[in-house]
Amino acid sequence: MSLPVRWRKAVRDLRRRPGRSLLTVLALAAGVFEIALVLFAYGLLQPELMSMYARTSPASATLNVEPRTEPRGGSGADIPYDAVVDSLRALPGVALAEARPVIVARVRRGPDEWQPALLHVVRDFDAQRIDLFRRDRGAWPPGPGDVVLERTGLEVAGAGIGDSLTFRLEDGREVRLRVAGTAHAPGMPPAWMEHMVPGFIAWDSRARGEGSGETGQLRIVTEHARDEGYIRERSDSARALLERNGLAVTRVNVPPPGEHPHAAQMAAFRFLLLAFGILSLALSAVLVAAMVHAFMAEELRQVGVMKAIGATSRQVAGIYLVEVALLAVAGLVVGLPPGLWLGRAYAEFSAGILNTDVSHSPFPWWVLGVVLVVGLGLPLLVSLAPVRRAAAIPVREALAEPSPPLSRLIAIDAWLRRVSWLPRPLALALRTALARRARLALALALLGTGGAAFMAALNVAEAWNDAVNADFARRRYDLVLSLSEPTSVAALERLWSEIPGVARVEYWPGANPWLLDSEGVATTNVSLSGVEPGTPLVAPRIVAGRWLAPTDDRAVVVNQAVALRGAMFSPGDSLRVRLRGQPVAFAVVGVARELAPMPAAYAPRAAVLAATGRSPDSARTARIVLERHDEAAQRAAARTLEGACERAGLPVAYLQRMFDARQAILDHLVIIYSVLTLASLVVVFVGGLGLASTLTLSVLQRTREIGVMSALGARPRTLASHVWLEALFVGLLSWIAAVLITVPVSWALEQACGRIFLRAPLDFHLSSRALALWLGLVLVLATFSSFHPALSAARLRVREALDWT
Amino acid sequence: MISLRGLRRTFATPAGRFDALTGIDLDVSAGEFVAVVGRSGSGKTTLLNLIAGLDHPSSGSVTVAGRGIHELDHDQLAAWRGRSVGIVFQFFQLLPTLSVAENVMLPMDLAGKVPARERAARAAALLERVGVADQAGKLPAMLSGGQQQRVAIARALANDPPLLLADEPTGNLDSATSAEVFALFGSLARQGKTVVVVTHERDATTGVTRTVTLADGALA
Repeated sequence: MSLPVRWRKAVRDLRRRPGRSLLTVLALAAGVFEIALVLFAYGLLQPELMSMYARTSPASATLNVEPRTEPRGGSGADIPYDAVVDSLRALPGVALAEARPVIVARVRRGPDEWQPALLHVVRDFDAQRIDLFRRDRGAWPPGPGDVVLERTGLEVAGAGIGDSLTFRLEDGREVRLRVAGTAHAPGMPPAWMEHMVPGFIAWDSRARGEGSGETGQLRIVTEHARDEGYIRERSDSARALLERNGLAVTRVNVPPPGEHPHAAQMAAFRFLLLAFGILSLALSAVLVAAMVHAFMAEELRQVGVMKAIGATSRQVAGIYLVEVALLAVAGLVVGLPPGLWLGRAYAEFSAGILNTDVSHSPFPWWVLGVVLVVGLGLPLLVSLAPVRRAAAIPVREALAEPSPPLSRLIAIDAWLRRVSWLPRPLALALRTALARRARLALALALLGTGGAAFMAALNVAEAWNDAVNADFARRRYDLVLSLSEPTSVAALERLWSEIPGVARVEYWPGANPWLLDSEGVATTNVSLSGVEPGTPLVAPRIVAGRWLAPTDDRAVVVNQAVALRGAMFSPGDSLRVRLRGQPVAFAVVGVARELAPMPAAYAPRAAVLAATGRSPDSARTARIVLERHDEAAQRAAARTLEGACERAGLPVAYLQRMFDARQAILDHLVIIYSVLTLASLVVVFVGGLGLASTLTLSVLQRTREIGVMSALGARPRTLASHVWLEALFVGLLSWIAAVLITVPVSWALEQACGRIFLRAPLDFHLSSRALALWLGLVLVLATFSSFHPALSAARLRVREALDWT
Repeated sequence: MISLRGLRRTFATPAGRFDALTGIDLDVSAGEFVAVVGRSGSGKTTLLNLIAGLDHPSSGSVTVAGRGIHELDHDQLAAWRGRSVGIVFQFFQLLPTLSVAENVMLPMDLAGKVPARERAARAAALLERVGVADQAGKLPAMLSGGQQQRVAIARALANDPPLLLADEPTGNLDSATSAEVFALFGSLARQGKTVVVVTHERDATTGVTRTVTLADGALA
């Protein structure tokens, strides 16, 4: 049996206007593409992110230890690890234990240029139990003269497999190790993000030994590995056990259970991906509604004819819903494959940024189901109202020439008379745009939503950048130098005199004491820095209380990360820490908001010296201010300083350029910026399609009017300019709508992203650059979108236009 | 067949209320061929729209084949039209994406009165009857005005309705073709159809059984 005639009409209608059908399919495909891309990337990444970290058997706690009898700086290699590990494994509640000492070193990248490095000493490369990593390329395991770099560390080290690298150890000794191969440690952040070279060396590596600065480190996995309270209890037991066995526990680190070190970044990424996925959905829905509205307006007369010859509203609606369904299927066919392909590519890109891969991720079939339902269901859903409205229109109205209500035209004309100074062509363009509210509303909704998303992306990116820049602007020093041993201040002052461009130097005594709760139990470590209260070198953003005053004695300003069992400190509280085995109390006078997620506290220099028992005449750490603060100046000064320290026999443990520190934070945001950029591009494309569709309808509905104007002498250029002016006017109105929409959207995104990633909401930021950019873009879009409709208007033949029905 | 009582239709316009019809009483018997004539704006099309159920009266009644159609809603009217009325428009109003034969088959498809397997043959027969059988496979845009109007007449006959209504069917045609169309209507009336034609061409109303003149919304 052949297809009933009304379904043949449904198919033929689409073929009759191939350009229009193609435009609609492209618009639908764009929506399907973005939703498929976002969801597929999410579907591949989400299970991988969840399981990836778990597969590495991450440590529940890490304990830094040193032999109690050894002098400071001695090698952790003297610790009887086998016996210690066995005793830890025997502890109730400890499921796994492993020794993984670390050596903080620096690796040479160029003459007088060093990069921080962290070498993990591995007992048995083939029998790891905790914080697992696997062979990537090259030799395995490494020999005594080798190092296996984490695969992301090769580029940071500027080396290849087979090259030899020079590592400088804590005592200044340099040891050359051959890069035997690479490993993949999914539990580690990528090296380029941390600006640090991670590597793995054998238990008998020649980098170990006295003077290497090796830090004894023991890792445990507890039972109930997701229960932070339980983990802390077991960690405390482990600490007590180690101390009974003659070891000093200098630090206990309990990371959030089950959370990758970049969990916050991943959460922000997932949130943004989903947020823009939902925005894309909204945009796609509005676009479909706009196109169906335009399509039904064109079909109104035929609707009237069909109803006149016996079609019910339901039968009429059925025909056009079938047309929408056919277009939706075509949109799925066109948009789904590239969406899935790019979604996988984006997932692989993002996974690489997070030092994992998605090659083993199962195909997320649910994504396919969702995209099919959305790709088919959403166009039908948003088409339902305009189709039903058109199908229900009385026959007499449908057969009459469509025109806006006369009362509306009268009101518009009255308003236009008040602005009689407007050029007539512009006035006509405004009249046309304002006369059809539904069409104008849809165009504004489409471009407004798209513009809001575009500007929100830029606003969030700039807010982030501003937050990072503002934070670093409060740290008014260029270099941080940390020596392996305390050195006399007099010797250091002589050193600075050799280095050109040094404007000021301050010595901040520091410590990493345990934070004690009200019962005296150690909880977490806090980085305590002793500063002169009036120092110009740091001015943290105080959110409660005040900064240190010159009259303060045992006062302290803490950052927002200092908390006891989740409760933040407030001015007036007492901060108790354990220093040199004794509890010491500081009065909290202020709370600062810093980007650093690590707990940090600032106290008067004299108080810290007294509490740590150090002499004011010696120092290990110096903060250096240069006369010029740009990257080149910092690099040059750092190189000169390295050489000067070497000549003076002062082993450098750590030298950080603040430019690099700032860049390291910004590098963490690369993945976020990529989501924002991608979403913005699709928004612009979809917005342009929607506006083109709206303008095409406008020209069609004015066909006879255009014919009359042409008969009265209007030139084709004039007719085309009317269309262009209408497009510009709609674009300008949509820009206003976009600005209004982006204010709350940007605020919400900045709040959410800041809380997820930086533990504090970002300050509200509305980028003037984004406003100007979108204004320019929307006017360009309007011009390009109006090109074809304007050309159609200019080419209309008078006779055909006047005869148009 | 058609009974109009006190038929009134008023439109609200920005210039005030306009009475298109001011109380029409009219009877048309089955098998009559009636021409409704009058100047532009006399209310002819409004009258036809009310008889066809394309519009609702402001007051009064419209009874067609014993059915008070002024009481039906839009969908009921559409279904009733499909079975009971054939409409011919001045501008033909053939659907441009359907072929000539498909245009004739469309009302059958909508009403479901003619079994599906008989529709194509019936369409062919109707096109033969109006003299354009050789144009069956073409699109309407490829036909002349007169041919398109003949197709429109064939479409109007698709479900074998007892009533045929035509609004200015010769308005876009030359005189010779107009005469042919009126002759066709006449033959349909002689075959038992009730035919009501609205026209402003008094001279072209040959073969009609009655002429009704409207002036300013009332029967003259």
